[in-house]
Amino acid sequence: MLRLPVFDVAAPDKLTDALRSLADSQAGARPLGGGTDLLPNVKLGQTRMAMALLLRGVGELRGIERRGDNLWLGAGNTLAQVAQDEQVRDALPALAHAASRVASPQIRNMATLGGNLCLDTRCRYINQSEFWRQALGGCLKSHGSECHVVPGGQGCVAALSSDTAPALIAYDATVEIASWRDEGVQTREVPLAELYDSDGTRHVRLESTELLVGVRAPVPGLNVRVGHRKWAVRKSIDFPLISVALRLELDGALAAGGKLVVGVLGPRPRVLDLKAFAGRALAPDFARDLGQLAFDRCRPLPNVPYDAEYRRERLPVEVRRLALSLFGDQAAQS
Amino acid sequence: MNGPISGDKTAAQLHRLAVDEVATDTVAILGGRHGKHDALDLMTGAAGYTDDISLPRMLHCKILRSPHAHARVLAVDTSRAEALDGVHAVLVGAELPIPYGVIPWTPDENALALHKVRYVGDPVAAVAAESEDLANEACRRIDVRYEVLPALIEPEDALARTDVKIHEDNKHGNVTKRVQLAFGDVEAALAGAELVIEGHYRFHGSTHAPIEPHCAVAVVDGKGLLTVWSATQVPHYLQRELAKVLELPMRQIRVIQPAVGGAFGGKSEPFALEFCAARLAQKTGRPVKCLYTREEVFLAHRGRHPFDMRYRTGFAADGRILAVDSRALLDGGAYSSFGLVTTYYSGQLLAAPYVFGSYRFDSTRVYTNKPACGPKRGHGSVQPRFALEVQLDKASRALGIDPIELRRRNFMGEHATTVNGFHVGSNGFLLCLDAVERASGWRDKWGKLRPGRGIGVAGSCYISGTNYCIYPTDLPQSAVQMALDRSGRVRVFAGTSDIGQGSTTMLATIAAHELGVELDDVRVVAADSDLCPVDLGAYSSRITLMAGNACLQAARTLGERIRGIVADVWGIAADQVVLARRRASEAGNPERWMPIQEAFLLAEGKLGLLGATGSYNTPKTGVHGDYRGGTIGASPAYSFTAHVAEVQVDEETGEVEVVQVWCAHDCGKAISPVLVEGQIEGSVYMGAAEAVMELHEVMGSGLRSDGRKRDPGPGRDGLLAASSLLDYRMPTSLDVPQLSALIVEAPDARGPYGAKEAGEGPLHSAIPAIANAVFDAVGVRVDHLPITPAKVLRALRERPDRC
Amino acid sequence: MPIAEPLDPARARRIAVVRLHVNGQAYAVAAPTHWTLLELLRYQLGLVGSKQGCDKGDCGACTVLLDGLPTLSCITLALSAEGRHVETVEGLGVGGEPHPLQRQFAERGAAQCGFCTPGMLMSSAHYLDELGRAASPVVRQQDIAAALGGNLCRCTGYTKIFEAVQAAADETCDRARALADGPGGAA
Repeated sequence: MLRLPVFDVAAPDKLTDALRSLADSQAGARPLGGGTDLLPNVKLGQTRMAMALLLRGVGELRGIERRGDNLWLGAGNTLAQVAQDEQVRDALPALAHAASRVASPQIRNMATLGGNLCLDTRCRYINQSEFWRQALGGCLKSHGSECHVVPGGQGCVAALSSDTAPALIAYDATVEIASWRDEGVQTREVPLAELYDSDGTRHVRLESTELLVGVRAPVPGLNVRVGHRKWAVRKSIDFPLISVALRLELDGALAAGGKLVVGVLGPRPRVLDLKAFAGRALAPDFARDLGQLAFDRCRPLPNVPYDAEYRRERLPVEVRRLALSLFGDQAAQS
Repeated sequence: MNGPISGDKTAAQLHRLAVDEVATDTVAILGGRHGKHDALDLMTGAAGYTDDISLPRMLHCKILRSPHAHARVLAVDTSRAEALDGVHAVLVGAELPIPYGVIPWTPDENALALHKVRYVGDPVAAVAAESEDLANEACRRIDVRYEVLPALIEPEDALARTDVKIHEDNKHGNVTKRVQLAFGDVEAALAGAELVIEGHYRFHGSTHAPIEPHCAVAVVDGKGLLTVWSATQVPHYLQRELAKVLELPMRQIRVIQPAVGGAFGGKSEPFALEFCAARLAQKTGRPVKCLYTREEVFLAHRGRHPFDMRYRTGFAADGRILAVDSRALLDGGAYSSFGLVTTYYSGQLLAAPYVFGSYRFDSTRVYTNKPACGPKRGHGSVQPRFALEVQLDKASRALGIDPIELRRRNFMGEHATTVNGFHVGSNGFLLCLDAVERASGWRDKWGKLRPGRGIGVAGSCYISGTNYCIYPTDLPQSAVQMALDRSGRVRVFAGTSDIGQGSTTMLATIAAHELGVELDDVRVVAADSDLCPVDLGAYSSRITLMAGNACLQAARTLGERIRGIVADVWGIAADQVVLARRRASEAGNPERWMPIQEAFLLAEGKLGLLGATGSYNTPKTGVHGDYRGGTIGASPAYSFTAHVAEVQVDEETGEVEVVQVWCAHDCGKAISPVLVEGQIEGSVYMGAAEAVMELHEVMGSGLRSDGRKRDPGPGRDGLLAASSLLDYRMPTSLDVPQLSALIVEAPDARGPYGAKEAGEGPLHSAIPAIANAVFDAVGVRVDHLPITPAKVLRALRERPDRC
Repeated sequence: MPIAEPLDPARARRIAVVRLHVNGQAYAVAAPTHWTLLELLRYQLGLVGSKQGCDKGDCGACTVLLDGLPTLSCITLALSAEGRHVETVEGLGVGGEPHPLQRQFAERGAAQCGFCTPGMLMSSAHYLDELGRAASPVVRQQDIAAALGGNLCRCTGYTKIFEAVQAAADETCDRARALADGPGGAA
């Protein structure tokens, strides 16, 4: 069978130990939550790893709790836990939905929220065997100098194929990042949208010594509606070909603003501000205009393995349907 | 599930009276709703697949493959690999120079490249090492120098660019086979037709993707006997080809096929791994295992040929088919595989269940620099069936005839001869049409469903094995040895390959039914060339008819002996002794009986050890035409199928949801109805997946016929677009339509109890039924498969009412 | 596959001892650090029921229950199972008696080639576990299909698998009701 290359394994049970391992640059450790993204990538030789840092035993990464106006989710929660958690379903239903749509039941039992946010970018020219990529002659992300998605392109445009990232960005979530420095734990917190860079070879703005330990999402008030929608060819197992989240802020019955977050375009989700739509009624024409906005501003690339032109055509339909589902009865009546 | 739908009872005479009389007693076995004979082993992990075999001192083999779609191999330097501690042997092409091929007329493959590589993934060298890790490392240390040649990716280009030859010694450029046959005056019939439908159809490539990857284990014993365990569906052909390539007599080779985790045609010829494992076992004197990665399974391929088809079909005003004219270009990939047969099948298997007034086909198969295509479930006939059945649907619309009615009007009848000279025996096609019409509620639905919802029908026919073996021989195609033992058990020895379809259950059912024992009392020893008589293998849906007949013959021989002895003891006529339910009893007098074991002992005491053999060979006269090629595609008996599919089309996204498929299949006689339903359901699932989802696609355009030349260096030409079970999207449990299997029984005189095939026929018309349903739903045709959302959207945009 | 392979000093590999429970039995198993749980089960413990189909978590044939949850053993490191409970298809039956799922699968033709079956059974077993824990269990085909969403089958079209799981689930519900209604039950 396809074999993993040789590497060491460390299984810390305390965050400080995990961070120390990461800080030890000699170790070349990679954090491993559920391993459902990392291990296939390592098996395929597209990711190298000198040491797997098993995070499962680190208690500080677990738990889902209300902290004031926020819901805090440890990065080590599995996607199944996130999808099934009552607090998440109440406070962040679009996140629960996104988590419930990731891959397959087994993968949701294994994969962690942190892992899904730090998912490696995907591309039809990368997620292949070592043999395949060598036959191709490599690419920007894989010992080559040519981009096959955008001929002549200088930057890797592999797609972040996370389902939870668009949803959490729509919730204005921030991520808590920790590292071991100066004999202590240093933490910083950044908006999730700013975690991502446009370079598909290093799209997660984490130093190799840093670990994503948790997510903090403000629990939206009654005037905010957030939804998520995924499309893939198959209803299970597949990565998304379209993953969109919509945040709608309301002023009474009218839109006041919000954002549309579109995933699976390139290395980072596209965030479109909806201030310009303030004052619009929650009616089908508004939904259509949101779809048009997505169509005008987003151009799916032939990076993930599906017809890019079709993905572009489909995107506005998915956005419109997502909007209509958030409008609820108001749209149906108009 | 409803009971079987019975055919015309004129066929009842085919059943022997004695069997019929006890049928009420034994219904639990023959035709009973039992599961698989070996089912519990499959449930517990005990079944034992090839990769489950681990032998002491076993080495692991890995194969180095070509990164180029087309190249000359200039040099292979294995020294760095051989120097690695733990590497025991490295094998290159020159050590296995004899070419092989499953069709003896077209041996064009070598286990490892001799001078050229012809697709990305063509095997070049092999290693045997202490572990898979070491074998992989050794492969990385083999240095190969290539001279890269222009690659031909599209079949049209392969046809046009005669200056680039994929096989230098091929006679006709890159054409591996061309078949042109005509029956009647097609042009005149078309000229006189009320309606001529012209269509251009494309059928895409798809692959079998069994969940078990190919695997082989080889070992040589002290006497020089080579034993090869392999996940194959043709152990006999494997034994022959091993003998040829390794230059060993057949008697020095034992092939064993353990449990096989699915095949669907993808394991029906020898592959590089079997030759490499065997040769490496010879070289090292140690057992060697070779297990393909999933990517290697995609490279081994032999899947459905992509077809480009142009059809002209002439109809009379009443819907009768006056002429069928077909031209097809088959994309064969890098090697011949079964291609000679595929090319014939692309035309020969189309001429039933309808009467063709006249028929002509012209099929050309070409080499391309891609993984070789071969036989996938419904070999060579699924693609033309799609074209024809959509043509019929178009005609029914144009003529204003209900498409089921149109098909009824063209029905050929039973005991009839097709336009190309095949004799068809039983034919339950009308019963199939009736069954799907009724079950689907067709009359309330066709043309009457809300926009976006549609229903479509299609029919088809398939073979129950082929009349001729792949190599010329007069020997039986199937044979069975049967022995009774003193414990009251029956042992059946057969070369048959159970690849999941249930051939072992079929043999056990026949033996149990005939000899009056329970299924659990039958032990089937199968697919071991040392222990079993030859059976040609699990392909062409041949085993139930052929091995079933052989088994029936042996069982009846033994049954007659036992009945004779028991009858003597009781002083009654032999035909008054009934063997059923572990008893021998007197017909009509259930008070008089003895345990079956006692009957066996009695008979052994009188006659000596109880053993018998059965053989089956196909009829050779009156079954096919006497023109060149007229034997290819002829079968002892034909199965018939009708499908109705109901779909929901999302007009905004173009997405087609196949909601339900009803499939009625005439299998002659369902020996094990649960298994027949399973074959129907699995076939329909696979067909539906091909219709809307699956695609085995190769990247790049290669060298173009228009002279435009791509950089022939390492690039994307010839790379598989999807070589994992993630990217090759086969339906999950959440993507599968509701499947309704309807068994129809029109017993055929040539089948055991009238049985015909069930494993491949039920795939065919699923695809055109879905395509026709899409038209019913949204009024557009997608004639180029698969029916993707993008194609549906494009067609919708061009729909007249949208323009 | 032997653990003791000739060692290339440049590729010196680490071997660890994994302590885990498999089908209720405690083991201490030596395994190289880069081995998967599937490799440990198949090569070290001889539990070949769990299958390798896709190499990397795409097909579900390697599904085992890890601490009761369906898990892809082909992309789980062996060391990740340290201190945990693994259940494989070999442990499904009790005392030589097949599990109701195994019996239903067998009788209803839910396995053809059988290669996906061990994984399919483990996902099904988890579905039954959940069902048995529900306060008022209801068997729904869409829940069964969802529970099996990570297990590819290439033979059956899933139809007979759904039927078999449904039948076993109905048995589970009947048992739960009988328990509730019987003497000493909650009623």
